[in-house]
Amino acid sequence: MNAGIEGFLQALNAGLLLGAHYGLMCVGLSLIFGVMRVINFAHGDFMMAGMYVAFHLFALLGLGAVFGSAAGPFIAALLAAPVLFLLGYLAQRLLVSRVTGTRVGALEGEGHYAQLILTLGLSLILQSGGQILFGSVPVSIPSDISSEAWEIDLAGGDVVVFVNQARAWGAAIAVALVALLVLVITRSRLGKSLRAAADNVQAALYMGIDVDRAHRITFGLGIAITAVAGGLLASSYPFTPYVGLEYVIIMYAGVVLGGLGSTVGAFWGGLLIGVIQQCSALLLPTQLQNTAIFVVFLLVVFLRPQGLLGRVSERT
Amino acid sequence: MLELDDLHAGYGGAPVLKGVSLRVQEGEFVAVVGPNGAGKTTLFKTISGTVAARTGRIRFRGEDLSSVPAARRPHLGIAHVPEGRQLFPSLTVMENLEMGATTAAGRRDWAENLARVLDWFPILKERRNQLAGTLSGGQQQMVAVGRGLASSPHLLMLDEPSMGLAPAVAEFIFERLAEIRRQAGLTILLVEQRVAEALDSADRGYVLEAGRIALEGPQETLRRDDRVRQAYLGM
Repeated sequence: MNAGIEGFLQALNAGLLLGAHYGLMCVGLSLIFGVMRVINFAHGDFMMAGMYVAFHLFALLGLGAVFGSAAGPFIAALLAAPVLFLLGYLAQRLLVSRVTGTRVGALEGEGHYAQLILTLGLSLILQSGGQILFGSVPVSIPSDISSEAWEIDLAGGDVVVFVNQARAWGAAIAVALVALLVLVITRSRLGKSLRAAADNVQAALYMGIDVDRAHRITFGLGIAITAVAGGLLASSYPFTPYVGLEYVIIMYAGVVLGGLGSTVGAFWGGLLIGVIQQCSALLLPTQLQNTAIFVVFLLVVFLRPQGLLGRVSERT
Repeated sequence: MLELDDLHAGYGGAPVLKGVSLRVQEGEFVAVVGPNGAGKTTLFKTISGTVAARTGRIRFRGEDLSSVPAARRPHLGIAHVPEGRQLFPSLTVMENLEMGATTAAGRRDWAENLARVLDWFPILKERRNQLAGTLSGGQQQMVAVGRGLASSPHLLMLDEPSMGLAPAVAEFIFERLAEIRRQAGLTILLVEQRVAEALDSADRGYVLEAGRIALEGPQETLRRDDRVRQAYLGM
């Protein structure tokens, strides 16, 4: 009996910690979709780029020596954010802006077909470019605490749960970043103009909001956020230039679960995906973990198509 | 303040404006009336820059607007209150008004403008934290006008402010516009299908038909014109 409870609590705790990382990833993707209505198929590959940037920054700057090999990998993940913000900002300015925002009026399907092809193309370029630059041997950021755990005794020592230290710190950072982002989006003038541009591009222009600039910031920010999430996982999971494929599916499932375009919803969606994935391991073989995600995903889409936290809102 | 010279504009291959010339002087209230599809909304969008002018010239306070992108024009002092209100539905009433104050002048005068808008439209005070998408049509129109005023504009452009509103509500909006004009001394350019009400409040009017100015003059002259009386005033 205790073994069963122990197994469940262990899976739940692993799921919540991993899910917080997924949640942060989903928030980045959701921000871009929510503000720009762009389905970014290259999102996972931008995350991969972020993981490699974190990996190389860690080595180049000697972060392990400066901050210790417990904190170093987290610092590397956070430092990858400005680099990836710049990459996203430039990708939007040079490429994505041609098929989004104020220019889509003239394009077929409001530019969605062109966006699809463009972001798929970007995805392929990032994957192949990553392979040329970084090779295909799996790497990870060395961390002292990625296999250390706190032992938590429950029920007078009958039930013991192990909390992975790297995952716990990573989850705490992820939650703090989501809270910070929500604050920026709801309270700051920048956040309000992003939401205004998301609601109605033309009216935003009539207010004098530079919508193209808002989109560049959004794309940069969305990619930077997801890159940090990837960087936080880069000390626990070895990765290759093709890592984006594994995660982009999880990200889309999480974003749709939480309700398309809802920032907070995307976080809860990602968290839920983590929990489902880990708990299903109790019942299913490891290879079927992602199947469980999609079964729940289909159920939600079937029963509550606007997502768990999504609003049924009319767009003017 | 605003000068349009032989303006041509349209969408894709279809021309909508076919040589429109129009003047608005400082402090004037000018109405542009005309039937559906005459190009009234396109005229406004061309002034705001969301539709590009093909040929012709737009000058605002002496500045040629041809190379000024749409997002810069509000900063010169043009406030466009668009047809169908086009609020930001997922933002609150207050946040919508705040977005109006994106211009430097709007931020400078924010407290004063907000107090005036809430004074002119007291119902918005109660609704300030409500999502704009959940308001009634009349209240949405009040937010749209307030949002335009929040930018501290030199020129307020109103596109069909009475559209879709019950007659009593439309009347209230027109009455408020007259009041706002009196108190704020604003220059107003109004586009309307309700010709009688529009000419009532305006100093001067233009009749736009099929992309051309068919008639122009002081409002008394237009109201006495046989063509206007027959076609628009139902007399």
